[in-house]
Amino acid sequence: MQAPLEFLDTFRRDLRSGGLRFAITSGMACVRYGLQQTTKDSDWIVPPEQAEMLRELLARREGGLAPWAIRYRSIFGAPLEAEWLAGGWTSHLAIRTEATGSDHHLDFFGKPPRVKAWQTDPAEADFADRDTVTRMKKTDRDKDWPIVGGLAAQSFARGDGKALLHLQAVEPLRRAWSATPDAERGAAIAMRPLLAAVDRTADDLHLEFLVRAERLVWEAVNRGRYGLYQSTWKAFYRRWQGAEDCPWPRSGPFADQHHAIVSAARRHGLPSAPLTPSARVTIYEAGLSRAAVLANLEPARLAAVAPPIDEVLP
Amino acid sequence: MNDPASPEQAGDAEYPEWYYDLLARTMGEEKAAWARLPPHEREAELTALHRAFDTPDDLSVWPAELDGGCDRP
Repeated sequence: MQAPLEFLDTFRRDLRSGGLRFAITSGMACVRYGLQQTTKDSDWIVPPEQAEMLRELLARREGGLAPWAIRYRSIFGAPLEAEWLAGGWTSHLAIRTEATGSDHHLDFFGKPPRVKAWQTDPAEADFADRDTVTRMKKTDRDKDWPIVGGLAAQSFARGDGKALLHLQAVEPLRRAWSATPDAERGAAIAMRPLLAAVDRTADDLHLEFLVRAERLVWEAVNRGRYGLYQSTWKAFYRRWQGAEDCPWPRSGPFADQHHAIVSAARRHGLPSAPLTPSARVTIYEAGLSRAAVLANLEPARLAAVAPPIDEVLP
Repeated sequence: MNDPASPEQAGDAEYPEWYYDLLARTMGEEKAAWARLPPHEREAELTALHRAFDTPDDLSVWPAELDGGCDRP
């Protein structure tokens, strides 16, 4: 059986030779950066406009001498199609490269959450850089936050100024801030208002409290964001399954599966971009309110350390 | 930014000692020790784990970044 890391190498070679721009992110990027031990799935960022190239590449693998079995995964999966990827959806595939092997699970992002412009690592060109991975890891899962802090600490140790935007531990945060030139501080505070409190908060415990309050904002807003995608998908799926006898997922060539889900998405109204401008503001404000309660802070005090909407929901 | 790596760099470690101390505090001693391995050794260990244990990647059927999906309230 092809081990997950071997498959990762195979697939990244395929993408490179196919001329796609891509970045391996999330768990497998953390493995590469020395921060996660056991992940098997792989997460890939691809430009939405290259979704068709990606599907063509998959079709070639399906029709090869050692054919791959490729299918959309069960439960959830927006079409691997530019318009949905550009709207913040992800597509979830299972690929079996050997008849007797296990499935490899791949998740594709076109517009990764919390990332304005993704980058690859200068030393690891197939991998998302630490800043991109760190932003994606600011979910509301407890297990992701040690990764956020670890990646930020790596960035700081490597002399990357972006570390300042993500550091969670007080001691390196103070060191990074004190090393930041005055001319750069304003821009940093605009992206991370908490930084304005570093110098005026002498007590480390109080600063740690503010970092945790800031984290609550990230968590609460992410909760609202995924809740929107989740409820949108479920409503679509109920409409689809209620109207048609169309089991999902289905077997057959991937192109046929893709045609089926795209057709269903159009017939039964799976919006390509549920995070509309008004939904974005609503989710952000609801997240601030929730975080203020959980932090037991007056909204105005929380607002002083809350990351701006352009950072949390770019 | 200062040079946070140089004064405390220990042996052949990729990062200064404070970084591994931070990992030990936030992720546990085992993961901090694993992080000290050279990349090829880390990945070899991971591949051995994958070959030995056929377990799901995550208890969630939805990806982390969408987060949780049907198993969440």
